[in-house]
Amino acid sequence: MPTSPPRLSRWSWIHRIALSILGAYALTWGLCALAVVALVANGADFHEAEHGVLIAAFLVYLAVFLWSFATPRLSQVWLAVGGGAAVSMAIALFWQHQLMQ
Amino acid sequence: MNWTFRQAMTWMHTWLGLVLGFVLMVVFFFGSLSVFDREIDRWSIPQTRFEPQPMPSFDQVLRPLMAQIEPSAVEYAAKMPLLHDANKGPMTPRAALPIDEFWAYTTHRDPVLLVGADFSVPLPRDPAAHNHIHARATIDPRTGAFLNDDQLKVGSAFFYPLHYSLHLKWKNAGYFIVGLAAFIMLAALVSGVIIHRRLFREFFTFRPRKHLQRSTLDLHNLTGVLALPFHFFFAFTGLVIFAASIYLPLGHTVLKPLHDRHAAQESARTGLPQTRAGVNAPVASVDAMVADARRRWSDRGMPGQVGFLKIHHLGDTNSYVSIYRAGSDRVALVGEGIHFQASTGRVLHEDPPREPASAVHQFLTGLHLQHFEHWLLRWLYVAGGLLGCVCIATGFVFFVEKRKQQHARQGSAQARVVDALGVATVTGMLLATTAMLLVNRLLPADLNGAANWQIGAFWGVWLISALHAAGRNGPVALGQRSPAWAEQCQALAVVAVAAVLANGWSTGAHLWVTVPAGNWPVAGVDLSLLTTATIAWAAHHKLKRQPGMVTAHTQRTSVPTEATHA
Repeated sequence: MPTSPPRLSRWSWIHRIALSILGAYALTWGLCALAVVALVANGADFHEAEHGVLIAAFLVYLAVFLWSFATPRLSQVWLAVGGGAAVSMAIALFWQHQLMQ
Repeated sequence: MNWTFRQAMTWMHTWLGLVLGFVLMVVFFFGSLSVFDREIDRWSIPQTRFEPQPMPSFDQVLRPLMAQIEPSAVEYAAKMPLLHDANKGPMTPRAALPIDEFWAYTTHRDPVLLVGADFSVPLPRDPAAHNHIHARATIDPRTGAFLNDDQLKVGSAFFYPLHYSLHLKWKNAGYFIVGLAAFIMLAALVSGVIIHRRLFREFFTFRPRKHLQRSTLDLHNLTGVLALPFHFFFAFTGLVIFAASIYLPLGHTVLKPLHDRHAAQESARTGLPQTRAGVNAPVASVDAMVADARRRWSDRGMPGQVGFLKIHHLGDTNSYVSIYRAGSDRVALVGEGIHFQASTGRVLHEDPPREPASAVHQFLTGLHLQHFEHWLLRWLYVAGGLLGCVCIATGFVFFVEKRKQQHARQGSAQARVVDALGVATVTGMLLATTAMLLVNRLLPADLNGAANWQIGAFWGVWLISALHAAGRNGPVALGQRSPAWAEQCQALAVVAVAAVLANGWSTGAHLWVTVPAGNWPVAGVDLSLLTTATIAWAAHHKLKRQPGMVTAHTQRTSVPTEATHA
């Protein structure tokens, strides 16, 4: 068994847990929205796209969560997960707006 | 912070696994019971102990019910003031709400029929919103008589919702807690595999005679690895089932514009009206539509019974009847829906075969929800779920065993708190469940508020078990084992046997009657209770034989022992 991780303040643990659970969730939202819009833009039926994306969603969430939790530097996690969520959601909403025109 | 991936996985497995393990235990256990929810319903409502029935004649049995069914008083009180716009006119009384939709649902395991109605809210605040007050009722399909709401369906209306929502309705909090627990289960399975590099060897390792900490870890690994595909699949598909409605509702939130455009296009393509026309029209013979639907299913090479039937926009020219096939013979929840114009019985639309992603989605959710008829697989689901419970429970025990000596020396209460929660979650939950069944059989059948008494017994017994576990586990703080485990096992054995006796006493349908008659829903619950009692008694006996539970580790360290036999 590996040795226990370094002792850290309670807040630093809460920060890590909350960021990895909620941040990865936010990124999953963004990526799923973007994927559904991209599929619909390419001619897929809305519910067909949604069904396919939502099957993959939790595997993506799991991978992002494990990576976020294990990455030593939380600033990197903030950048990747927070930034990724904002960018993917923004593109998804803009693309949807274009499609609705 | 500097840590390796394995350190991170170990920490996450231990701590998130511990905190959400208490929820997971509930989810796995009540999920296992939900496999036989309809059978538990039969046991708990003796009047419904008859053979499963097909969907009854709509024209003769169901049509009169549409005039009798009433909107839920609770929902009316809670939602009506919010949905109705007082500036437009007075609020419609509950009994005068116009009915908009009516449905009926049954499966191959249901003697009784679930029916429901959605009532419109006149003068709504937001005409575009979902302005419905709902009703649901259970009927005897042989006569059309309503069953009393106080006759709680302990299996399908209490244990099953507990499995996926914990009965916490506020803001869907229960669904989110269960969802987070399921997600952490996935993470714990992945991290568990990463922690235990010698996975294949551990698969064959169980050393029951080693000291408790070692043998619990062996059992934890064994049950975790043996049923790994089962655990992963069920946690995963559980999340997929609620993804579109609760966890990632894209179509109702950020992608609502795309979703609504698709719905409008779909409605135009299928010819199924989305709204009422405002012109009254009667409903033609639904039995004729059912016969037509069954003929069309036969023509497709899949003859079958009706599982679900729904009338939309009732009483309007835009009204249509959707008829879906029962899924007893296939995994995927495919209804092969056929939609008829209500006023003429003309077919408006037949659902086309599913596209690939939707077909996979339906297969995954269908395998979790198992509406299909396969009794062996049903029992394997129970076994898998209970293996999950063993895996989680041994996780608690291992956590305590590994730390209690150290915490005893440091004067920390952590191991003691976890032990108390562990007892409450394992034996306390079983006690609450069996006590609920016992109370169900002791209450008079016609008692007012019988449902609340049973629900109260469940939560009350669970609370008492938790208090007992916390009050009796002083020895854990001294590095010893809590006597609460043995005591609650003993109580569980007594209550489980009492529930079986109470069933025989209150209905006369004891095992000597039900087993020869092949009444397996009732006999199965009795036999399961007796099995529980036997295991609980054996566990109690074994725990009592090792009073001090002195592990090899305890012998090496000197721990104060004044409370050894507390």
